Parts: sequence; C-alpha cells; structure tokens
Amino acid sequence: MNITFPIYVALLFFPGGLFLMASGLFTEYIDRKLVARFQNRVGPRWFQPLADFVKLLAKEEIIPTGVNKALFVLLPIIALTAALTAALYVPLFGFKPVYSFSGDLVVTLYLLSMMTLCIGLAGANTEDRFSLVGATRALTQLFSYEAPFLLALLGPAIVLGTWNIGEINAGATSGTWFIVLQPIGFIVALIGLMGKLELPPFDAPEAETEIVAGALTEYSGRGFALFKLGRDVELVIGLTLIASFYLGGFTNPLDFLWKTLLLLFVTAALQSLFARLRIDQTVGLWWRSGMILVLLQLVVIILGTYLAPLVRPLLGG
Amino acid sequence: MTSPVSPEKFIVPIGPQHPALKEPGHFEFTVDGEIVTNASARLGFVHRGMEKGTESRTWVQGLYLMERVCGICSHVHAMAFALGVEKLAGVQAPPRAQAIRVLIGELERIHSHLLWLGVAAHEGGFDTLFMFSWRDRETVMELLETISGNRVNYSANVLGGVKIDIDDKQKDALLKGMDFLEERTRHYLKVVTEDETFLGRTRNVGKMTYEEADTLGAIGPTGRASGIQRDVRVNSPYAGYPDFPVKLVTATAGDLEARFVVRIEELFESYRLVREIVEKLPPGDLAARVPRRIPEGETISRVEAPRGELFYFMKSNGSDMPERIKVRTPSLCNWASVLVTAVGHKLADMPMILAGIDPCFSCNDRIVTVTDHASSNQMSWESLRQYGIEYYK
Repeated sequence: MNITFPIYVALLFFPGGLFLMASGLFTEYIDRKLVARFQNRVGPRWFQPLADFVKLLAKEEIIPTGVNKALFVLLPIIALTAALTAALYVPLFGFKPVYSFSGDLVVTLYLLSMMTLCIGLAGANTEDRFSLVGATRALTQLFSYEAPFLLALLGPAIVLGTWNIGEINAGATSGTWFIVLQPIGFIVALIGLMGKLELPPFDAPEAETEIVAGALTEYSGRGFALFKLGRDVELVIGLTLIASFYLGGFTNPLDFLWKTLLLLFVTAALQSLFARLRIDQTVGLWWRSGMILVLLQLVVIILGTYLAPLVRPLLGG
Repeated sequence: MTSPVSPEKFIVPIGPQHPALKEPGHFEFTVDGEIVTNASARLGFVHRGMEKGTESRTWVQGLYLMERVCGICSHVHAMAFALGVEKLAGVQAPPRAQAIRVLIGELERIHSHLLWLGVAAHEGGFDTLFMFSWRDRETVMELLETISGNRVNYSANVLGGVKIDIDDKQKDALLKGMDFLEERTRHYLKVVTEDETFLGRTRNVGKMTYEEADTLGAIGPTGRASGIQRDVRVNSPYAGYPDFPVKLVTATAGDLEARFVVRIEELFESYRLVREIVEKLPPGDLAARVPRRIPEGETISRVEAPRGELFYFMKSNGSDMPERIKVRTPSLCNWASVLVTAVGHKLADMPMILAGIDPCFSCNDRIVTVTDHASSNQMSWESLRQYGIEYYK
C-alpha cells in the first residue's frame, strides 16, 4: 500500500511511534500466551504487558551506587530510540517505509544491534556481579549471531540486486517466495532473531537460574520498562523484516498480520521446545553450523546470479 | 564445608535469596570467566530447632512435629519416627499398617521425583518439561489427597500403625493414576535420554565416579547414579518392604543424565510397587497399642527417603517425652559431592549440578556451629539482645 503519511503522524502515531509500541506490547502478549499454551499453562491476559509497563513506569527508579549515572539513565532511552528509528525503514503493517535510501538495510540492522549493545553497556556499567556476567554473555552472543543473521538477510538482497528494504519488499512480492529459494537463510534469520532478542533457548545472557536477570539485574522502574518496550518493538521489526524478505513481502495490513503471526507462532514453538543453551553452546552453534551454512548459501546465490545469464540461453529461456 | 577463597577473585554469590533457589542457602562460586574454580556452601539459614523441640513434647506430639521437618518427604520422617518408637516400645505394627506405610511412602517418592524432574529441568532452562511434569504430578497429589485428606503432610502414621485405610474405590483410583503416570513417565524418560539440547546440558556434566561418590559419602539416587549399591529398602527392609521387595536401580555414568535416568527408573519401580500393594493389601488391624511412656533405651531408625537414607537416633529415658532425637537428612550427605563436582564446570551448569542432588535445605539445617573458638565469653539474654540490635544497626 503506497499511502504516505504526514511525517509527524508517521513518527508519533502511525505506523511508527505509539502504534508501533502498542503493537510491540501486543506481540509480546501473543508470544507469552502462545508459549504458555504450548507449556499447558493458562498464560497472561491481553493487557498484561501494558499493565507491566505502566506498573514499571510508576515505580521508583533506583540508581545503584558505583554507576555512571548519565549512562545508566540514557542507555534505556538510546536502546528504545534505536529500535523506534529502525522502524522508519521497514514496511510496517504493509505500508511503504517512511524513509528509504539505497543501503538502508545495513543501517536498520545496525540500529537493531544497538539494543544488545546498550544492554551490554548497561550491564558493564554497574558493579553487580550478575550484571557483569550477563553483559559478557550478551556481548558474546552478539558476536555469534550477528554475522550469520546479517548474511541471512543479505541473501534476498543480493538476488534482487538492491539493499533497500522497501525495494526488497516490493521485489519479494513478485516471484517465488524466498523461503522456498533460500530455506537455509530463512531458518538462520529466524533463529538469529531469537538470539538477538534473547528468547529461549538463547536466553543465557539473562538466565534467571544462574545470573538473576543478567545485565538488567540492577534496572528497575522506568529504565527496565524502556528496555522491555524496546525489545518488544524490536521483535515486531525483526518479524516484519523476515516476513517481508522470506515470506513474499506484503502490500496490505492483512498480509502483514498473518505472515508475522505465523512467524511468531513458529518462534513460540521453538521457544518451548528446547532447553537453554549454555553460552559456549550458543557460540558453537552459530560459528560451527549457522555461519557455515549461511556462507554456503551465499556462495551458491552469488554463483547463481553470475551463472544465470550464461546458462539461460543454453536452456532456451 | 567452607573453603577459604582469596578476596581478589571474582566470586558469584548464589543465595540466600536467588531465583534458582526455592529455599535459602548460600553458595559462592569463584569463577575464571565462565569456569568455576572453587565452590563453597553455607547452610543454616532456616534452622528451626526441631530436634530440641521434640524434647519438650510427648512422643505422640513429636510424631506430628517430625512430620513437618520436610515439606516434600513428610511421610518418611513420620514413618522413621514411628518405626523407631515402636522398636523402643517393643510393639510391632500390623501387616496392613506396614503395607499402607509403604504405599504412601512410594506415592510420596513418585511426587518427590516428579517434582525434582520439573525443578531440575527448570534450572536448565527447559520450562516446558517443568510445566508438564508438574501438571502430571498433580495426579499423585490428588491421589494422596483422596487417601489421606491432605496434599502435603498426610499424617498417615500413628505410633503403632496408621490411621487411614484404603477402600476399593481408592484402589481403583490408584491403579488408574499409576497407569496414567507410567505412560507419561515413559515419555519423560524418552525426553531426558533423547532430546539433544537437554543432553547437551546433562551428559558428562557433574560427573562423579564410583570412587568419588564412595569417598564423599553420596547417598540416595545421587550415589546410585554413580553405581553405589545402597538403598535402605533393599539393604535392610523396614515396614512393609520385606513383603513387597523393591529392585535396586543403579547407573554407572555418574553424570546428571544418569541421575535423571535413575530417578525416572525408580518411578517405574514405585508404580509397580503401588500396584502390587493395592492388589495384595493384607487384611487386619490398622494399629497396635503403644504405651504412653516409652521404656528406657536408645535405637536408630533408618528409612529410604526420596533423596536417600534418612537416619533417626532416638533415646528414651522412660518418660513420655524423648530424651534426645537426632535426625540426619539425606541432603546433608550429598553437599560435599556438589562442591567437589562443581569445580571445572561452567557457571551455567551450577544450577543443574546443585539441583542434581535434589537438595532440600530446610530439613538439613540442623546444626549451628560457632566458629569463633578464641573467645568463650558467655552472654546473658539481655546482652545477646543488645548485641543483636547493635549488629543490625
């Protein structure tokens, strides 16, 4: 859908801004509810993420001793801002991206990484031992999933010859879905997103039975609420990216809805299927199999794009 | 049990309040990156003075107090106490009572092992298994409630026998419940031995050889997973176990996976035993008469709790109150194995290694050690109170 919203509307209300935050909270609800149902639990009510958010905002924010106060306060804001900014370049709800330029895919991916970076810094900023271990793990995890995740999203970009998210989305709409053409890339991208959001089984950085809440142990009140909201927004954006790249893109909100919900269903199922991976197992998984698989696919794609013009005349195409 | 650690090391404290621990205990893991290089434990946060408490209660009241030593294995405590008192008094409980004691003891083992399966899975971040095993555990909890009226402290024992009987309707419910649980447990055995991610967290983790387990005095399923052939139910059968023998379940690997397998195999043995008792429940009285004053003497009473050997020492001075009751719960014997096996593992493995012995903190907090040997000044109640106020100021 090629509706262009006035810039303030797009930034503050729809499709970015408030509406995006609301859909982030809603996505969190669906995720939690699905995981709960898979685990044979009742699960939360629909307003639970919002209630949590409001409750956290209303609570006192405790700034522990020994931290850099400015950093402590600013990091959650930066994390949320980065996630919200990333939303400008993706085709949210099936609408045309608010901003776009050639190469915005790379910028978006960097903005999405800001969250993990902020969490890592937030953990390293405090003196708490659980936070320090959590921060180390969060950053270790960043280095393991980031490269395969990036390469997995580059697959469709290389085939379509553009690094502009809007154009990739448009390109994906016509022709065969990339999930069929590049199944490895799809799997790596989806699992990479779970690693990025520290969802189980990649929740070693915040494994509650070991290090309480990981890097965010010292956060309470507003800062914690913003981090949580940022992560929800990032979940929406991540699902949007993968759905638009691999599930044939979308042109209207309905298309967007069923494709992202389908992806969410799959991630929720994956979340409830496995035991938590240790951080060394996570790194091993990404660098031993994820990276090699996605590189292999990339080589095939590049060879394919070069060889296709040569082969096509021979096939009489 | 505490070993000295130099202050410049990076120590990760777990407890007394920590999401991994449902009861208070304090552990300090010295880590080098993610690798644990030293581990120490401090217990005693929930010392309740129950042994002393029995000395000012009658034998009958003591039974109810001792049942509350542990919330999970309440029946074995009452059974150990009742068996000891009966031995002192020279009374033999009727066969039907002994069989019902075993029946409830096995139901309790089922509920305890299923609970542990869930907790251990949760410590490894496998919440789905946690939720499912606890859902199925409700079956046995409801059976216990149908039989005794209570979910936790069944209060089935009296001195000289039991106070509850099993009727035909309850027998049917028991058989049906065992069928359901057996089917579910088969599935869980498959999960813990075949699920790749879970095996990644359990196989070769927390490995304890037979020699180590023997030296450290590991007991119960923890020891049996390392090949230690020790089970009070088999070695010196008590209550109804001479009539309803159990098979000793052991494994040789000694890692966490073996501990899972041993406990799950024990579940099958318990299901079989419950069915057998239900079918061949001997007829007769439920309780024999026990005198109010217990003859002078001392005895020990040993039973197999879900976590291992539970040991009671009892001394009577001929009055209606005990002279001394000493309880040693199985968790206490297994702590050393945790602290030794922890070294060299990753920090992420600590919760599972801790949970691997199925620790029960409240029941093993029994001793208060005074480490300050140098000064031996006595404090009056008033000065102790003042000291407390000053200390926490």
